[in-house]
Amino acid sequence: MAQQHPAVKLTNLLKPQIGDITTEIEREGQTLFGGSNNLLSGEEIQDFSVELLNLFVSLLSSKDPYDDSSPAFHALEIFFHGLSRQTMERGGRVEDLVRYTQFLHRLFSETVNGDAKMTVKDARELLLFLSGVFNELTMAIFRAYLEEKEKTIFAQESELREVATPITEIWDGVLTLPIIGTLDSNRTMLVMESLLNRIARDRSKAVVMDLTGVKNIDSQVSHHLIQMVRAVQLMGSDAILTGIRPEIARALTSLNIDLGDVTTRASLSDGLKEAFRRMNIHVSSHPA
Amino acid sequence: MDHTGFHFTPVGGGSALLEPMAGLDIGQAERLIEEIIRRLQEGKICRLYYDLSHFPVIDQGYFTWLNRLAGACKAANTRMICVNMQPTAAFALASLANLTPQFETALGLEESGKN
Repeated sequence: MAQQHPAVKLTNLLKPQIGDITTEIEREGQTLFGGSNNLLSGEEIQDFSVELLNLFVSLLSSKDPYDDSSPAFHALEIFFHGLSRQTMERGGRVEDLVRYTQFLHRLFSETVNGDAKMTVKDARELLLFLSGVFNELTMAIFRAYLEEKEKTIFAQESELREVATPITEIWDGVLTLPIIGTLDSNRTMLVMESLLNRIARDRSKAVVMDLTGVKNIDSQVSHHLIQMVRAVQLMGSDAILTGIRPEIARALTSLNIDLGDVTTRASLSDGLKEAFRRMNIHVSSHPA
Repeated sequence: MDHTGFHFTPVGGGSALLEPMAGLDIGQAERLIEEIIRRLQEGKICRLYYDLSHFPVIDQGYFTWLNRLAGACKAANTRMICVNMQPTAAFALASLANLTPQFETALGLEESGKN
């Protein structure tokens, strides 16, 4: 008589208990994701419990259940990835997903251990197989968790970028750009892009870039700064740098940065006055 | 039919607008410069506006052409002012090393008219 594959034996073990196992899976799903947790509805839990079991049985009945690159295994991974994303998007915790995987692992292991006819060799092989499968599925959960976190970080970065380029039209044709923090290549590109598009859109004749919020400067930052000034001038606008702190001025000289052809003023208000002067705008107070 | 690859339009007040067309061959820089300077002198032009509104990107080669033309204009006592530079072109040009434009820039014809 031909030797039966351990995976086939596990399938045969699962078949008569399929109803009970589905109920168990559903119950655990309800505890972790349903009820007051409110991550999945009762119907969703019921659906995914049936789907999970179907996918698992498909893996066991596949040509080589041990092959973690098989379509059946991949389908199971995708299922877990999707479930993880869905619950995490709704505020679920990664710990609960891992606990759920551990529960499934335990449930199937108990099925193997509960069979009196199973040889030690087969049982050992099946338990190892289950460990391998559930380790991979745990990794799928962590991959989804990381993707979700990256998505959040990306969204936060994008929001931060928007507030990092507060370009304001302070007067008709005069833009101000307070630069706060460090100018790295990415941020420079972003600021330049917004600034140049704004100049083109508003036909701004002067841009006052205020560096009061720049705490320190290195050769890269100063290079980016010069690049921004150049781009503004090429557009046909006047660029005025203001708020250069003493330590920044000292750093610029030690870096051999020549600001000879760049207009600088001590403060933002001086910069605005210079912009007005160039545009022949006179601001004066009238006695009441 | 104009074979020079550009439109040259006097706009009054000693100014002229040069609008390059798709057929402008900057490989023929010598011939083009001579032709442009000849027209500047014929029209007694002291301010040449070079329209860059159709150039989303300006590379090193085109920048060299602009600089050569600006240098020739200076020699003929004419200011060359590049107008309508696109943000993408300014962005690309600003990142070129050793950038020393010989030409002036202005947002547009109207904005530079007061200078």
